[in-house]
Amino acid sequence: MTSLEPRWRMETVLDVQGLAKTYGAVRAVQGLTFRVAPGEVLGLVGPNGAGKTSTLRCLAGILPPSTGRVRVAGHDLAMMPVEAKQELAFLPDEPRFFEYLTVWEHLNFTARLYGVEDWEARARGLLEEMELGGRERALPGELSRGMKQKLSIACGFLHAPRLILLDEPLTGLDPLGIRRMKASLRRRAEQGAALVLSSHLLPLVEELCHRILVIAKGQVVALGTLAEIRERLSGPGGANASLEDLFVRITGGDSDPARLEQSGP
Amino acid sequence: MSLHGAVLFVWVRSGRNRVLRQLQRLKRPRYLVGALVGLAYLYSLVGRTLLLRDSAGSASPGVRLFAELSLVVSVWGTLFSAWALGADRPSLTFTETEVQQLFPAPVTRGALLHYKLARSVLGTAAGALAATLFVGRLVSAHPGLFFLGACLSLTTLSLHGTAASFMRTRWAARGGWVVFARWAVLALGLAGVGWVVLEALRAHPLPAGFASARQGRQWLLTFLDAPGPRAVLWPGRLLVGPALAKSTEDFLAALPPVLFLLVVHYAWVWWAQTPFEESALVRAEARERARAVRAPGRGAAMGGIRVGRQPFALRARGRPEVALIWKNLIARQRMGGGLIWLLITVVLGGTLAALLGDPTVLEDSRRVVSPVCLTMAVVMAVVGPSAFRMDLRMDLPKLELLRVLPLAGWQVVGAELAASALTLGAFQVALLAGALLLGREEDLGFEGAWVPALLGLMAFLPALSLAGLFVQNAAVVLLPAWVPVGMERARGIEALGQRLLTLAGTLVVTLVGLVPAAFVALVVGYPLFDRFGAWAFSVAGVVAAGVLAGEVALGIRWLGRVFQSLDLSEEQTE
Repeated sequence: MTSLEPRWRMETVLDVQGLAKTYGAVRAVQGLTFRVAPGEVLGLVGPNGAGKTSTLRCLAGILPPSTGRVRVAGHDLAMMPVEAKQELAFLPDEPRFFEYLTVWEHLNFTARLYGVEDWEARARGLLEEMELGGRERALPGELSRGMKQKLSIACGFLHAPRLILLDEPLTGLDPLGIRRMKASLRRRAEQGAALVLSSHLLPLVEELCHRILVIAKGQVVALGTLAEIRERLSGPGGANASLEDLFVRITGGDSDPARLEQSGP
Repeated sequence: MSLHGAVLFVWVRSGRNRVLRQLQRLKRPRYLVGALVGLAYLYSLVGRTLLLRDSAGSASPGVRLFAELSLVVSVWGTLFSAWALGADRPSLTFTETEVQQLFPAPVTRGALLHYKLARSVLGTAAGALAATLFVGRLVSAHPGLFFLGACLSLTTLSLHGTAASFMRTRWAARGGWVVFARWAVLALGLAGVGWVVLEALRAHPLPAGFASARQGRQWLLTFLDAPGPRAVLWPGRLLVGPALAKSTEDFLAALPPVLFLLVVHYAWVWWAQTPFEESALVRAEARERARAVRAPGRGAAMGGIRVGRQPFALRARGRPEVALIWKNLIARQRMGGGLIWLLITVVLGGTLAALLGDPTVLEDSRRVVSPVCLTMAVVMAVVGPSAFRMDLRMDLPKLELLRVLPLAGWQVVGAELAASALTLGAFQVALLAGALLLGREEDLGFEGAWVPALLGLMAFLPALSLAGLFVQNAAVVLLPAWVPVGMERARGIEALGQRLLTLAGTLVVTLVGLVPAAFVALVVGYPLFDRFGAWAFSVAGVVAAGVLAGEVALGIRWLGRVFQSLDLSEEQTE
């Protein structure tokens, strides 16, 4: 997926302005500013400890940002958290469930929270899509890691969110599951959902994402399409570099985020 | 580095790191205060008496006899369970970490077995220390000797259990007839013990009535000194002999046979050992699964959760926070039903026993059950908020999940409270209804006031429970580091002190919250008493309940805001 209609410049599902998150003296995220449009898939990449998970947790309303503003589908996450959360889904890398609710009951629970009246038909479709058909009465403890990931995704997709935040969404999935998941994410984007996808799997990011946000030490070090990042990155071999090459060059030990040119949103 | 060296390294470093971490935490006032309170509590509990030696070995002969009998019976119980209970497989248990770290390591099975035995010795030493602190200092004038003796006997029993599991594994592999033979021997052994006890009872019948405790003790001593019971109890007495020795000389005299048994058991384990890796892996995974499904302080089934009917069908349309109530009621049903069933069994069992005993007792049992129901309803208002934990105390470890829900903070807090409050309140109302139906005011000395008072309590006690639940949940949100949530339970003296302080704080805050309710109830109820008599109690109860509910509602609004801004970043850094 490399091209996108420029409508994202006109509409915005996610609008992040000056987001910062500090833990005591540690500045995990510093002044992130970016937007994501309907149908757009934004890849969030960075080395371990770069602040990706903190960023996603702030975007999902799990952690309160230290400073900055997050708007989801026009709703300020701090001022109108309920309306904003109604429009988003957060899929963590290690999904947690209520141990005593079955797969089907988790979907029922989600449906009531989000008021999805036709949830049963949707849930059946999602379970089929996630290859969880026949596991409706299973408890989370009886599911493999990959199945849990699929259940998390099914619950997340049930209310057709306009913003989907994914933290390592392919963790634990088998090759077939990965292929299906990629198709599923593409379909959601084509249907108009905005996706923010954090992953260390750079080929996945390269394949799925329209734009890429590279962060290191909590700061934006690059933001744009792969072509734009290639173009802006000076140095030999930059024009044909893969995302992996660019990632190593941008976030490598000799790179200083302050020296690297930062693309505007 | 050998396994022994590596294990020693892990134990020493782990212990050192734990102590260092606990000391570092003391820099924060809340942990320092907790540590001071915990130390004071421990001192009041055991330290003072242990240091002053004023009560060491001061137990009466009756208590000593009871302690000896208890220990001997425990020995027999352990031996019986080693041969009769559980599956026919090695009983060695490893944690998942141990399985992952040690099983692939280049070490022999023997080294792993030694490692496990060493761990069990550490465990028995901890058990012996606890026994010494709580029992030994009362029944023995030499707590040090009691500790040593307890260590030896517990270690021997532990080795016996391991050896028995190895033997059972071997026999099970040989086929059904060996297993049958084992059960036959066990049955014969039990029958033999039963016969011995009956014969001894024939020779020394139970007196028709004991004039004093001393007379009862005398009969018991005579009974136990009869040849049959003496023979049955001999192995157990032999094993607990050193622990209960009255002097150093007695201890030394009782020591050789126990040491001999210990060495023999060690040799037996070594000889009988069978491959245990597979069963250890299965057990480790099962333990991990059980840990994952276990709620804090709950007795959820170790094997997992039974999926049953839902409390009600959850429709997609309606207030979203009802979903939280629904899921918590399911949790109550599937993971925490034990308490309710226990209480119901106690009430029904007591009634049934009374009825079966004597037909005339029907009337008496009714007189007994009614006050029991009333007492339990009142007691539930105090202990219920601690026992019914299907609320934020259960869900706070899933804060990430809760925070993503499209609900305002007060909705989350209110809904989380509701399931516990509804269950507890319904239970109290049921108990009070039982008291109302079974009790007669003329029997109970509440002429004219029984029904109005109970109706008032039906409104007031559930509201009081709700207030208690609110305070406990508020403590979780305000002091998440102080209140045990989820599966993790903080350890250490400071954690003990924190728990005591939280408990005391809960009681104080609940009592303070009761003041306005009591005041308003008095203001409303007192003038009505002249006109409506005892029925003023009902009105006062309802009014007090209303005030308490109002206070809780205000509290939920406030706590919702706190919950919304709750930042557990310290625990959730990347």
